[in-house]
Amino acid sequence: MGVVQGDQMILNIGPQHPSTHGVLRLEVMTDGEIVSRITPHLGYLHRCFEKHCENVTYEQVIPFTDRCDYLAAMNSNFGYVVAMEELMDIKLTERVEYIRVIMAELNRIASHLLGVGAYGLDVGAFTPFVHMLRDRERILDIFEYTCGARLLYNYMWVGGVSHDLPKDFEKICFRFLDYFEPKIDEYNQLLTYNKIFIERTADVGVLPADVAISYGVTGTNLRGSGVKWDVRKEEPYSIYDRFDFNIPIGEAKFGTLGDCFDRYWVRILEMKESIKIVRQALKDLPSGDIFETMPKKIRPPKGSVYRRTESPRGDLGYYIVSDGTAVPERVKMRSPAFTALSCLDEISQGWMMSDVLCILGSLDIVLGEIDR
Amino acid sequence: MTIDFIINQFTSLIGDFPVVAFLVACASVGGLLFVLMALNAMVAVYVERKVSAFMMDRLGPMGQGPGLHAGKWGILQTFADAIKLLIKEDTIPKSADQILFKVAPFIIFIGAIIGLAALPFSSTIQAVDLNVGVFYIIAVGSIGVIGIVMAGWASNNKWSLYGAMRSAAQIISYEIPAGLSIIVPIMMSGTMNLQELIQYQDGSILGIFPNWIMFQNPFAFLAFFIFFISAVAETNRTPFDIPEAESELVAGWMTEYSGFRWAVFFLSEYANMFIVSGLAVAGFMGGWLSPIPGFLNSPVLGLFWFFGKVSFLIFIMMWFRWTFPRLRVDQLMYVCWKVFIPIAMMNIFGVGIWKLIFG
Amino acid sequence: MSRYLINIYDTVNTLWTGMRITFRHMIRIKRDNVTLQYPEERWPRPERDIGFELEDYNVIRTRLHVDIDDCIGCYRCEKACPVDCIKINTIKSDRGEDIPEVAHTGETSNGTKKGFVVSRFTIDMSECCYCNLCTYPCPEECIFMVGGPHSSKHPIDYEFSETDRTDLIYQFAKKLTPKQKDNLQGPKEKAKA
Repeated sequence: MGVVQGDQMILNIGPQHPSTHGVLRLEVMTDGEIVSRITPHLGYLHRCFEKHCENVTYEQVIPFTDRCDYLAAMNSNFGYVVAMEELMDIKLTERVEYIRVIMAELNRIASHLLGVGAYGLDVGAFTPFVHMLRDRERILDIFEYTCGARLLYNYMWVGGVSHDLPKDFEKICFRFLDYFEPKIDEYNQLLTYNKIFIERTADVGVLPADVAISYGVTGTNLRGSGVKWDVRKEEPYSIYDRFDFNIPIGEAKFGTLGDCFDRYWVRILEMKESIKIVRQALKDLPSGDIFETMPKKIRPPKGSVYRRTESPRGDLGYYIVSDGTAVPERVKMRSPAFTALSCLDEISQGWMMSDVLCILGSLDIVLGEIDR
Repeated sequence: MTIDFIINQFTSLIGDFPVVAFLVACASVGGLLFVLMALNAMVAVYVERKVSAFMMDRLGPMGQGPGLHAGKWGILQTFADAIKLLIKEDTIPKSADQILFKVAPFIIFIGAIIGLAALPFSSTIQAVDLNVGVFYIIAVGSIGVIGIVMAGWASNNKWSLYGAMRSAAQIISYEIPAGLSIIVPIMMSGTMNLQELIQYQDGSILGIFPNWIMFQNPFAFLAFFIFFISAVAETNRTPFDIPEAESELVAGWMTEYSGFRWAVFFLSEYANMFIVSGLAVAGFMGGWLSPIPGFLNSPVLGLFWFFGKVSFLIFIMMWFRWTFPRLRVDQLMYVCWKVFIPIAMMNIFGVGIWKLIFG
Repeated sequence: MSRYLINIYDTVNTLWTGMRITFRHMIRIKRDNVTLQYPEERWPRPERDIGFELEDYNVIRTRLHVDIDDCIGCYRCEKACPVDCIKINTIKSDRGEDIPEVAHTGETSNGTKKGFVVSRFTIDMSECCYCNLCTYPCPEECIFMVGGPHSSKHPIDYEFSETDRTDLIYQFAKKLTPKQKDNLQGPKEKAKA
């Protein structure tokens, strides 16, 4: 047991740990129980995504984008195809746009369910985690019905989607939404308003708005600090400007603005907003042919594009450089969870060991996306 | 009483060998208590898995269909687990403190099994009828802390040390409200002897309610809750399971133990649950008396009532575990010292005044 | 002081609400159970909201299968695979002719005349990433993932684990001895080599 600087202890929250969301190594310098510095060590899950993309064709990149953020694979696909369509200047049919939005929002609900459930697990509540997984399974069953896969879909292609919606899709989707909406109230009663949970999360790990902006944190983490910024409203892509939904922000419900509870609360509210969007999209779903605007050969003109979309983790950006051939020259993915992890050191100064894992859980990171 | 009974039988049947008689009586009763501990652990583990599964909308261990691979309803699952633990390889880390590592499980086990010796299972079945039964159980319950700290230190593992330190602080702190709350039945009945405490609760209030100490007095009701929750904290169960917090410390102070050594820890955790529930039942809920005052009281039925009430309290402990998140260490200490102890002291005061006014 | 008492009251209230919810779940287990007791019960179970009818699925991700008699050796699936797990070798043959010695039919079941004998068609399922990109470009629809919408051609199979990793390299082409390969290549190719 090494001792550094008098009575400081270096502790390794090692790559194998039940609570790091993936393989992440955190080197924590503590004084008894109080943390003074955290150094994250990354790279355990690096799979050379960006190098692979330089060797395979544009449509073959899509299975690789799935595997980066594996909890929100539809949104990762979405980001890539939106960037490609901007590069190639393709205008899509209405039906394709609506289908994409439905899938992306359902995946947002699924990803938030897992993020919130795993956070409850970190804090010690085992039952809400299993309940949320049970509801997530129903969403995954809907995805399986549409595109055959539960987690890594390869569904959104450049210029369209790979398959049309199967029979009775609207009925099944509405049935799920009607089943799921009261469940959110049940989760609130079981976990959110539980006094022990509030004691654990309120006032802990406060991320002030200016610190968040200077680190480049986006998405739910930024909205939890009170900044109203959502790419779907600020730089709308696809048909998000047609839907009527709010942007929930943290409101210091039980503690200071920007603490763990606010980030958690924003995720719960975002699930409700996503349900609203899916309902509106299902109601207005037009008919049409989805393969009309799909190019036979993907050969974009020379140039580059950077486009960002809103994934459940934050601001997902794709920078694609094309040199006119069928194989991209460079694909870079800007990962929102990476910036969220970078502010961990600053916001956990002075808190205890149990709080470090609590704060890490509230940032909702996915190592696949951080390490690509 | 059972040990005295056996010693008398031995002396009358075989002859006047006091030392041998004592050893035979202790060995047989100790064996029975060990069997009780093992059976309790097996049943409690199975019930815990099933209860947790049902609360999570899943089924837990099941075994159905051809082959019955875990018995119908998964009953044989605990047997399979026990056999697996017995035949597992015994690994001790090389840099661990060898002697302390091996001795720690023994100490915890001793703390658990001698606590079982004073519980009144029925009016005639009790290992030893001590005159200071309540005091004895509370005192013996704190032997476990030594074992836990030894286990945490000897593992030579920062995580285990964390868990052990937290556990030591927690158990020692929560002994105080538990002790203060158990004074309430002692004050009301005037005796520390468990059998007499239960006899005091004979009879009925207003003819229909049983005359349990819990119901006699609103302060006693409050004292029961404080005692029960402090007991949950003493046995390291959620929401106070910060020493063995799974998602933070992998397994806390038990991380380096595997196989049979871990089974001993496990056994003593469930035995501790049984002991504190048994004490709560004897002190507050009428022990082996039946809930319907006056009827169905006999030495054999008393056993049934005792085990029924203890099982109910153990079920409530499991209910707590699978519903609540866990408290952080400093919040735990806050709850103990700033909430429970003032309320417990107020209880003693209140019970005294109540008794003075209402007799 | 009042803050302290309100805290205690809040705690007891919210904890009791939470306990009521888990108790409700516990007693309603018969209705709410979501476990599929594999292997006695298998997926899909439409009556329990776990999966739907297999034929209604758009696409399924299971084991890959090739109807080798329909393969015309166009190499499109090999090019489409992002992880290069399909390996094909072909030998040129006369267009539309049956070659009974190697059990090669000249036409596929859709009527297309074949110009190649497929001498090697291996798919390494341990490398496959189940993206289905190989099934879309096939002009004869001879490569597909079994079950689901293709249940009529081949029943579903998602339990294809092996004990030896090399058993997961599936060979679909008919085995040719080196002598047969020589014969097939014909005098023109031999003259070239």
